[in-house]
Amino acid sequence: MAVPLLVADDSRLSRRSVIKALPPELEFSVTEAANGREAIELLENTSFKLLLLDLTMPEVDGVGVLEYLSGKSDRPDVIVISADFQPEKQRIVMELGAKKFIRKPLDNEELAMTLFELGYL
Amino acid sequence: MSSTISLNEDQRDALQELMNISMGQAANSLAHLIETKIGISIPKISAVTPSELFSLINRSENAYYTRQSFLGDIQGEVMAVVSESGLTEVASLLEYEAPLSKSDVEETILELSNILAGACLAGLSNQLELATNLNMPTLFSPNKASFVELNWQHSLVMEVQFDIELSSFSMRVVFCLDRTSLIKLTDTIDELLG
Repeated sequence: MAVPLLVADDSRLSRRSVIKALPPELEFSVTEAANGREAIELLENTSFKLLLLDLTMPEVDGVGVLEYLSGKSDRPDVIVISADFQPEKQRIVMELGAKKFIRKPLDNEELAMTLFELGYL
Repeated sequence: MSSTISLNEDQRDALQELMNISMGQAANSLAHLIETKIGISIPKISAVTPSELFSLINRSENAYYTRQSFLGDIQGEVMAVVSESGLTEVASLLEYEAPLSKSDVEETILELSNILAGACLAGLSNQLELATNLNMPTLFSPNKASFVELNWQHSLVMEVQFDIELSSFSMRVVFCLDRTSLIKLTDTIDELLG
């Protein structure tokens, strides 16, 4: 069965590269959000198993999305994929419940390894 | 009529994302050096005439200005606008002792410009596999007349802002490219987009 996946990133190039980096052994049903507000609207109405989340986005940023999710019981696994990888930022997102922090530019193998660690592969 | 070069939506999106990644690397370099969190803005990409560039650079009050030229597969200039406010705190994080002398202030400004602009340019060049070489920064005072004479008659401005938490310090970095370099850059991005 396809894994319901939300990819939230304001860059189309980045969303495209994330989707292309998904391991072919797994089937995903992919939905895209172009900013944090869109992501929250989608998360309110749809149950996603996995969220691949950028941090630096307009309207609501990735930290805002994690804050929104922090009070929810039924929340997706969140993998943050961001260019802003300062130690303090990583600490904040991990405290807010992200499962893993991956640096941009995205390394396909690191994404596959993370999905393996989280039990998807 | 403004004679600027337009980018299509895909090119602008790609350039914005490449700058975002480069800024992250730049902010991380500085954050490690001063052990303080750096806030980074979403990059703004625009094409401007020299007089618009002057307005963009000159809109800050109480600021210092630096410029650094770069050569290679693409050539142009990086300008940085460094706030006077909060500079003393940042200088102390860089281990300059208060009170700052005039040369301490200049060194701090030039060092910040070099770290942030250098890392931004390096990040952009690496991702696009372009060779570039950045010269040392110098301080300057923006002057409208001199901007009209700039080589960047069709400037592409990539503007990013860094803010340092626990201080009122902020810095903007603006990249300017000449027409040939802009064409080279957009061609390289088109190849990347496939």
